[in-house]
Amino acid sequence: MSLRTTARALPTMAKIGFAEAVAYRAEMLVWMLSTTMPLVMLSLWSAVAKDAPVGRFGQAEFTTYYLLMFIVRQLTGAWAAWQMNHEVRTGALSQRLLRPISPIASYAMENLAALPLRSMVAVPMAAIALFVVGPSTLAPGKFWALVPLALAGGWTITFLFNIAIGALSLYTESSLKIMEIYFTLFAVFSGYLIPVELFPGWLHGAVEWLPFRFQVGLPVELVTNAHSWDEALRLVGIQWAWVVAMAVGTGLLWKNGLKRYAAYGG
Amino acid sequence: MISVRGLAKHYKVHKRAPGLRAALRSVFSRTYDTVKAVDGISFEIKSGERVGFLGPNGAGKTTTLKVLAGLLHPSEGEVVVDGHTPKKREDAYLKKIMLVTGQKQQLLWDLPPSETFELNRAIYEVPRAQFKQTVDELAQTLELGDLISKPTRQLSLGERMKCELAAALIHRPRVLFMDEPTIGLDVSMQATIRNFIKQYNERHGATLMLTSHYMDDVVALCPRVIVIDKGALSYDGGLEDLVHRIRPEKRVVFYLQREAERAVLDGLGKVVSANHASAVLQVPQEAVSETISRALATLPVKDLTVENAPLEEVMSELFERSRRAAAPASTGNGKAP
Amino acid sequence: MGRYLKLLWIQLRSSMLLALQYRWDFLVDGAISLFSAVAAVAPLYVVFHNRDSIAGWTAPEALLVSGWFILLDAIIDGAISPSLNSVVDHIRQGTLDFVLLKPADAQFLVSTARFQPWKLTNGIGALAVFIYSFRQMGRTPELLGAFTSVGLLGISTVLLYSLWILTVSAAFYVVKMDNLSYLFTSIFDAARWPATVFKGVVRVIFTFVIPLALMTTYPAQALLGRLEGTTVLFSLVGTAAFAAFARVVWLRSIAKYTSASG
Repeated sequence: MSLRTTARALPTMAKIGFAEAVAYRAEMLVWMLSTTMPLVMLSLWSAVAKDAPVGRFGQAEFTTYYLLMFIVRQLTGAWAAWQMNHEVRTGALSQRLLRPISPIASYAMENLAALPLRSMVAVPMAAIALFVVGPSTLAPGKFWALVPLALAGGWTITFLFNIAIGALSLYTESSLKIMEIYFTLFAVFSGYLIPVELFPGWLHGAVEWLPFRFQVGLPVELVTNAHSWDEALRLVGIQWAWVVAMAVGTGLLWKNGLKRYAAYGG
Repeated sequence: MISVRGLAKHYKVHKRAPGLRAALRSVFSRTYDTVKAVDGISFEIKSGERVGFLGPNGAGKTTTLKVLAGLLHPSEGEVVVDGHTPKKREDAYLKKIMLVTGQKQQLLWDLPPSETFELNRAIYEVPRAQFKQTVDELAQTLELGDLISKPTRQLSLGERMKCELAAALIHRPRVLFMDEPTIGLDVSMQATIRNFIKQYNERHGATLMLTSHYMDDVVALCPRVIVIDKGALSYDGGLEDLVHRIRPEKRVVFYLQREAERAVLDGLGKVVSANHASAVLQVPQEAVSETISRALATLPVKDLTVENAPLEEVMSELFERSRRAAAPASTGNGKAP
Repeated sequence: MGRYLKLLWIQLRSSMLLALQYRWDFLVDGAISLFSAVAAVAPLYVVFHNRDSIAGWTAPEALLVSGWFILLDAIIDGAISPSLNSVVDHIRQGTLDFVLLKPADAQFLVSTARFQPWKLTNGIGALAVFIYSFRQMGRTPELLGAFTSVGLLGISTVLLYSLWILTVSAAFYVVKMDNLSYLFTSIFDAARWPATVFKGVVRVIFTFVIPLALMTTYPAQALLGRLEGTTVLFSLVGTAAFAAFARVVWLRSIAKYTSASG
């Protein structure tokens, strides 16, 4: 499907995706409950930082960090991998393939369409909490200008990971296991559980070379004074390099996977 | 419209003996079988034709339909539908066709069907005016009423199938592949769906290829049938001809005032069944009129009808014959570590 | 009873058959378990890199808690969640009717529908963590404590199972709950930390509402010889009550169940 026609179908797809999200609001609540881990980590680090700050982080800094992390996680969520796995297993992918629009575009719309509802609950809640903690731990205005870009990049990387893992289910039955591995790596190296700047030497080195911190870590770091302006620009640049690299890799994986699907049947 | 030449589709499947021990062994070494789901079939279908695609379970019907819809790549052979090669899955092609299966659905489960219609409108780029007209037409002929605004999960199987059909036709496909569209539906719902399909074909000149286990569907819809068995073509031609070829005899049903003597019936022809109210005789076509006049003279006949043998019987006879004719099933055998 | 044992064996056997079909899972699961054992320890490593002890737990002691976490995770993934996930599928597709038609206890049937034997490899990871942690401490576990902890393992398994049954019961009331198991594992994830580290509301939740403390912290404390007898007793009584409650909720949900296929 040409880009122009895809673009024309997008608003309707988004609208219906939103209607679906509303129909599944209970599920959404479950999903939100399952992303409360930053709050648990907050409780843990608060205990650790009670007597003396850890690095740059006192109790207030931890509170800001984890509340923002909670918000960013809501805004960068994607779950296409589960959808794809399910659809490959049941053969429902065939229905998608019959349509004259790229399945990836339709997954993207369905995933994006749920974001407004998710943020409607999460964002005000966390914003109020942030206000109570106070703005002293937050970065100056110009860093905030980078946030939309960093969030878009973070969502795209997360979505592409989902598509890649989903596409793997066209090769192997056990792509949900790969999802587990991905998830463990994500939790550890993204800054989701622990701010990456607290990582000791070699672990910190690993973070630099992995895509995970660009999913949720970077947007939070930008607004919590973690980086100088130049460093911030450099990191956003690296993030988008990851976006491009992953788009190419995922595209190949998907194309070849589809060939297999066509060869072995759905 | 549809041209299939030497189409073959082979699968490699893991062969496994039953039992825990065999399963343990299969961890280390596996044997594979090549299954020839479709093994070299050819046919041509003209624009606007309605063709029944018949065969026993596992004959390769669904595989063929999936190849035609572009979901499966053929192992061998050439397939062209309206100038397109299906496996390329060009948008222009996808907009012309639809595959409807009785067992799988495209309707969004927890939203009303109208939302799926709307989604398809956007995806297939149907102009607003045409969309409205199509939906109205579909809603009227299928008697959808307020079904389209209830969540799909609350619909009965038959209602869901009607909406499923409507969703599949939003973009007015010119070629319709239907795989068991009436499966699991009650008789009256089957008739509704059947009539609707026929109407759609006549009104829009769409080409139709249909598989079904219900021979009533085939009789009502398909002047032409293609029969495949074990992946190979075993008949392609008119439905009438098929019946005449396999079962040249006619069935004469006599409705009787009282029970007839068996000896009298036997004297008239081959007795298929007989009871106090009716008797069914099977007689060669050329002897029909003679048999009838003799029966009217000797039997207490109230009424009579002349019919063909039921299609179910014809089909099972056909499959039986091809089974007897075929050499032991030839499936390749390969070993892989 | 004998009949149910037989049923259990048949279901186990078919799970094993299935597991053998996916032979690479053995290697993949082994690799994943090794990997997640290391990953489970990484956050611990970072925290204790900054402090010698937290809320009275030294690094090797906290590692012991992680060991129990890995072990219980293996039990969930191998024996509890596969079956109960299939219930959610059944409910969505309206095929639970077929299960309910069978002349045996439905809870038993759904709970034993599927196992993932390869997940047992995770247990090896847990054992390695235990050994490493006691070597770091330069001591051996208390004998009585070791017995108590094995008993607690049984109790936590029952507790986890009951929690699962409760979670699955929720699936009868809401339309689509694919990520119930995801919710469960992400909350359970907090069990890798000693429960006494948490403060305030979170601690109350993890002790009484979702008793993560009982599952990983108590057994670790038992191995260290720090657990009081009364706590064990309370755990036993609490778990029994919890299991009974879960059973009642399950029965009520089944009664309310209306098939999705309508």
